[in-house]
Amino acid sequence: MAVQPIGPQRRKLERVALLFIAPVVLYTLVFRIAPMVSSLYLSFTRYNALQPAEWIGLHNYVRIFQSDLFWTALKNTTIYSLEVLPLNIVVSLALALLVNQKIRGIAIFRTVFYLPVVTSIIAVSMIWLWLYNYDLGLINTLLEYIGLGPYDWLGDPDLALHSLVIMRVWKGAGWNMVIYLAALQGIPQQLYEAAEIDGANSWRRLLHITWPLLRPVTLYIIVMGIISTFQTFGEIYAMTQGGPLDSTTTVGYLIYQQAFDQFQMGRASATSFVLLGIILALTVTNSRVMADRD
Amino acid sequence: MKRFFTFTLLVTLLATASFGALANEPTTIRVWFADTAEPLMRAVNEELLPAFHQAHPDIRIEVDFIGWAELSPKLLTSFAGGVAPDLFMHGQAATAGFASSGSLEPLDAYIAQSEDIQIDFGASLDSGLYQGERYMMPVYGSGNLLVYRADFYEEVGLDPDSAPSNWDELREYSSKLAKKAGNRFLREGISLGTSGTSVQQTWSTFLWQNGGDLFSADGQRPVFNDAAGLEALEFYVGLMDNEISSPREAQALGNLPPLAAGTIAQQFTNVETVKDIENYAPDVYPQVRVASPLRQVESAAWYSFAGFFMSRHSENKDDAWTVLEFLTSPTSLEAITGALNGLPPRASLASAPHVAEDANVRAFVEGLSAARFNPNIPVWVNARDQLSRQLERAIFGRATPAQALETAEREILLLLQDQ
Repeated sequence: MAVQPIGPQRRKLERVALLFIAPVVLYTLVFRIAPMVSSLYLSFTRYNALQPAEWIGLHNYVRIFQSDLFWTALKNTTIYSLEVLPLNIVVSLALALLVNQKIRGIAIFRTVFYLPVVTSIIAVSMIWLWLYNYDLGLINTLLEYIGLGPYDWLGDPDLALHSLVIMRVWKGAGWNMVIYLAALQGIPQQLYEAAEIDGANSWRRLLHITWPLLRPVTLYIIVMGIISTFQTFGEIYAMTQGGPLDSTTTVGYLIYQQAFDQFQMGRASATSFVLLGIILALTVTNSRVMADRD
Repeated sequence: MKRFFTFTLLVTLLATASFGALANEPTTIRVWFADTAEPLMRAVNEELLPAFHQAHPDIRIEVDFIGWAELSPKLLTSFAGGVAPDLFMHGQAATAGFASSGSLEPLDAYIAQSEDIQIDFGASLDSGLYQGERYMMPVYGSGNLLVYRADFYEEVGLDPDSAPSNWDELREYSSKLAKKAGNRFLREGISLGTSGTSVQQTWSTFLWQNGGDLFSADGQRPVFNDAAGLEALEFYVGLMDNEISSPREAQALGNLPPLAAGTIAQQFTNVETVKDIENYAPDVYPQVRVASPLRQVESAAWYSFAGFFMSRHSENKDDAWTVLEFLTSPTSLEAITGALNGLPPRASLASAPHVAEDANVRAFVEGLSAARFNPNIPVWVNARDQLSRQLERAIFGRATPAQALETAEREILLLLQDQ
């Protein structure tokens, strides 16, 4: 088949199209690709931002894998992610099922459940610091009424990470609730009606209709959840600074410490790429597992 | 041709006018203060800047107040981006890191011009010493001394005018002062730091009191993992035996420091906390006393200074020094240390109202005679973090004191190797 020559009108259109996409391409190149390439280069250097970078090959990566703190941070991040993700899915799905009811004033409940999502993580952290306060906190006060506690929620190395998990689930559930709500409203009602006629109770309808049809959305939530929990930083910085005893030091917080407390930009860049590799591997594995099931 | 001449004339006139205007423009010196306390901002903006601008119309000071937590990241990025301030405030722990990277201007030549500075600041000028050169003009000091409640001493039959003077007495007093109901402390006998830099500061104090040190004199080798260090850490951990004190960091109740709230009887803390008690619990303050530094083998207490550094990249170093000289003059330092409740680095300021009129602040100033400082070595911040991490492990019983010190030494040797 002969190739049609491109006319002047088409060329003009192409030029206009290029002009339109140029800002986005430029933005991506300058603010996304270039910093990533630069950071990859820095990961092979000794660089403190005050002196020129010095090439040291794989030394940063070797030191990372030799460091106990990195493995502690990775373990903490994994535990954090493994606790937050399922809890978040259960809580947000439950909330979505609740606010999917057609009752008067439901919009108020939806807004209230969504409020923590739009609140700054620092403001939320301050509130939870009060809730978790050993002497005056609401949680210990309530527990003491029923003869339990007090617990040092953020000061006990065995408790601190789990305390942060609770806060994170509370903060993030509203976001996933909205996603689940949209997905729930997309499920055809006829399916439920047919199942009801066949005698399926609400639990079976949830198990055999709702849950399977929510699988693509759940995959999305898991993937985004892995990416976001593996980069957790804000609440650690505001509430525990990685302590006590490094029990809340996540990889994200470790990168911050290396870069801005210890001025080891090269090491921090290398840790960032190790984290990128881990997130990528987890995301791909998860997508494949879910796709195989489908 | 006529048009061309008119145009040339106009351009020349405009250029001359703008150059003239530029020539009259005052030089701008950018200064970063490392605190966002309102009294400091008021003192600087309402007292110091107007006074300086009146005396030096040719120099304009542009001030930013940066919180301590954001200071290092902001400085780092400003140096990397070539927009560092001419002068900035930081703790002395930052000296070696910035100086070794060539970011700081040595101040010896300027200091040598002023006899007043050399005499009045005295040894505090050495807090910014790195490889024989001084990089910091001290602004205020802070130290950790034993602070206690006199009423609690009386309650358990101790003499409130006679604070513990050595480790045995500290343990004995703390034991008497502790009060428990079941497993819960109603009042801890003493509260010691259990995380972060406070652990390192308190343990270093014990180490120095026991005749040990953190690093060799040349800063090339950690020397804390010896008998003195081990004994100091064993003593530290021993105080947290759940009968005297718990490994749980004493928490403030709102603005009320734990000493004011009465949840602890003694604490190694700084003058800022003492002044917080005065502000938030004025009725309790008369009961608060500050002890002299303890003596085991020798008398020692951890102290540190914060001060101003000059960027090597400043384009107006002489004007920056003029500003620095003003900001560290007795009048300015009185305003700044008064606003921050800090210890003045100038001997002449011992008579400043916020020092002379408060026995507790005076005790901190007197304690300076036994002051010991963290070492000024480039890896210090990183080494301090490693050390604190291992000390914490010993405190929480995750490692024996010997294991903790050994690991800390090994990690710090790796840091020194990598530098």
